[in-house]
Amino acid sequence: MSSELVHVLAGNSFALSDAEGDMEVDPRVPAGLFSFDTRFLSHWVLTLNGERLHALSRDDLAYFETRFVVVPGAASHYVDADVSVIRQRFIDGGLHERITVLNHSAEPAELTVRMEIASDFADTAEIRQPRPRRPVVTAASEHRQLRLCYQRDRFVRETVVTSTAQVDVDQGGMTFRIRIDPDGEWHTDLHVEMIIHGAGGQDVRSSLAAHRQRVHDDMHEDVAGFLARAPQLNGERTALVRAYEQALDDLAALRYLPWSFGERVPVGGLPWAMTLYGRDALITCLETLPFTPELAPATLRMLALTQGSQLDDLHDEEPGKILAELRYGESAAFEEQPTAAYFGAVDTTPLFVILLDEYERWSGDADLVRELRHPARLALDWINEYGCPLDDGYLRYQPRNTVSGVANQVWRNSPDAVAGRDGRQPAFPRATSELQGYAYDAKIRGARLAREFWGDPAYADRLEAEAAALRERFNRDFWLPQREYYAFALTPDGEPVDALTSNLGHLMWSGIVEPERAGALAAHLSGPELFSGWGVRTYAVGQRPYNPVGAHLGGVWPSDNALVAVGLRRYGYDTEAAAVAAAMFDVVETLGGSMPEVIAGYPRRLTKYPVQLPMAGRPQSWSSGALLMLLATMLGLRPCGDNLLVDPAIPEGYGRVELLDVPGRWGHADAYGRDRTKDGRHRAR
Amino acid sequence: MGGSIAEHLIEQVAGRHNEIPENTAGTVRLDLHDGGTTEHWYLTIDHQDVRVARSAGEADMVVHVDRDVFERIATGSPRLVSALLRNDITVQGDVRLLMTLRRLFPGPPEARHAREAERSAGTPPAPGAEAR
Repeated sequence: MSSELVHVLAGNSFALSDAEGDMEVDPRVPAGLFSFDTRFLSHWVLTLNGERLHALSRDDLAYFETRFVVVPGAASHYVDADVSVIRQRFIDGGLHERITVLNHSAEPAELTVRMEIASDFADTAEIRQPRPRRPVVTAASEHRQLRLCYQRDRFVRETVVTSTAQVDVDQGGMTFRIRIDPDGEWHTDLHVEMIIHGAGGQDVRSSLAAHRQRVHDDMHEDVAGFLARAPQLNGERTALVRAYEQALDDLAALRYLPWSFGERVPVGGLPWAMTLYGRDALITCLETLPFTPELAPATLRMLALTQGSQLDDLHDEEPGKILAELRYGESAAFEEQPTAAYFGAVDTTPLFVILLDEYERWSGDADLVRELRHPARLALDWINEYGCPLDDGYLRYQPRNTVSGVANQVWRNSPDAVAGRDGRQPAFPRATSELQGYAYDAKIRGARLAREFWGDPAYADRLEAEAAALRERFNRDFWLPQREYYAFALTPDGEPVDALTSNLGHLMWSGIVEPERAGALAAHLSGPELFSGWGVRTYAVGQRPYNPVGAHLGGVWPSDNALVAVGLRRYGYDTEAAAVAAAMFDVVETLGGSMPEVIAGYPRRLTKYPVQLPMAGRPQSWSSGALLMLLATMLGLRPCGDNLLVDPAIPEGYGRVELLDVPGRWGHADAYGRDRTKDGRHRAR
Repeated sequence: MGGSIAEHLIEQVAGRHNEIPENTAGTVRLDLHDGGTTEHWYLTIDHQDVRVARSAGEADMVVHVDRDVFERIATGSPRLVSALLRNDITVQGDVRLLMTLRRLFPGPPEARHAREAERSAGTPPAPGAEAR
């Protein structure tokens, strides 16, 4: 996203405007006011005496509240306005904007203030080219209200804009003809309701001021509570503390309440992924367990509730499969896109089991493990029954929906992301390497859950035997002895796809790597082909498909790097892990603000600055969560029985790092670390 | 009355359902509207067992749906969640049970097991498809 765009957001609702606070249709970005995947305002432009306004300053008060100070006149002129305007904007289930006009002169001012208002009710899936729609517009000056209503069959979405001040309302907006005394001011509050008619038992939002105030206060309270429950970070490196606090703030912002469920779960992030993505949510939860563990039980329950149950090609659904994406817009409703409940992801199902186990290790919440026994069993059954379509025991994917489905159903989900060194793409079904690590880990963890909580030792034995066989098979078939790394994937014929990628780190994270091979992997991950200086690239340089601005063919993903760092530490490569963590924090400290979803893969010595990609989202749950996971990794936090183990490997120059009140089965515990080089401590565990 | 298709579809649901978690329990009333008449079906879900009765009693979740729409949903297209989004069904009460109800009706009839699909070598996926 371009830097001049300004957002306020709350859950899956957001308003994206220019620096003046105006919103206009732009095919490149979802500008406007959105909720539940529908654009409720596509045009929201303020003028004064017919002139556009220009930004003087902006104050981002909270992720859901912003104040713009704007003045008339062209930006290139010396600003000496007699009049200025303050737009204070706040979002919850609706958008609320107070417009205050200040008269700085000694004379009374006669002014015409106008808000141009329109909505195209575009679906988030069609921002590049919204289809033409003809909403019914009702202007009611006597009610100080403009209603915009779109209907297709029984699907009805309505925007209702109400002013507290007297106003002339017409089909295109609201006009205020005002007179302001010398040094006086005038204001109105504009309330924008986003109404989803009838569906999901949704309440039509009350327009009472008392209700809005309560929601406003609730949001402040909710955020304060979320932040207060997270540990406190102290340290000599203030930029680290700032990045940590920003990441927590992002995670607080990016939670929404699904229709069918009563707890908040993480959305993917701004601007393209403002809904539940199974993979992003699961990874975010794994990243944040020592910090905001409340995200995990809500996510696990929501994903269990929506678990696949039928064979359905359009939705890529299979019994036991865990959700990929859940959307609420028109294209999902009419099945023009498969996203009402889309299952085109092959990694979400093992990750579901992994998170359930990892969450119990941190929280001690055995009740949840028992509660979710059935969905976890279905997930583990899915791996064998549907996840392995060939008889070679490897987790593979082949889209059922070949029209509107996702081709690459792994975290590298761009269409050309899975390719060998020469650029050739393997046939389907594809067995990428990280999937085998996840499947192995899910079986190992499922076995622990079966033995300790489900009273099913026979099943535990079976899972462990399957895991051992998978590990042996994987280490035989994927290992490329000349190159000393694991193949990126296997073709359906079992031929290795030989590319060098950051998936090696995922394999170390999962534990499927034989310890004697870990040294070679750590060297690759830290070497110049993969390590850019700003983190580990998805795809190594020196291979034909490599492209520093290719999202999955050279870009650097923080969520990827977090798992890489954990994997390195798991096998004892503490210095290498600290270097990855330091590179990532360098990125966010240099850019300021939230961690982007992905940055370009240029070498650090070449660009000196992390190069951002225009389509990369920010903030993103799993990028903000990645910073927390990297922090936990440098402190070496690990649950061990009922205790929190701390084993710091802090990057050089960081000084003292303290994390206070880490929640978990131990109650709350503190973790202290200090930078100290710890070479030669290579051990597997 | 021409209720035989809907009746047949609902009665098929009675019995044991291993795909539902043991700890899911609740009652669902389906109100099928057809012109001026409404037929009430009452599903009791408990321990992977579903009982079906004709009753207008109070339930944890009540689903209102036109009979013809219901017949389409119950044969796999559209799926229940899409129907909810497009407001072809309305729900009162515990909406979570809608996700349970979703499991009771079959998916689209043409879908096959992945192993079968693999053996008959399907068309390659459309280029350009990605998650977001």
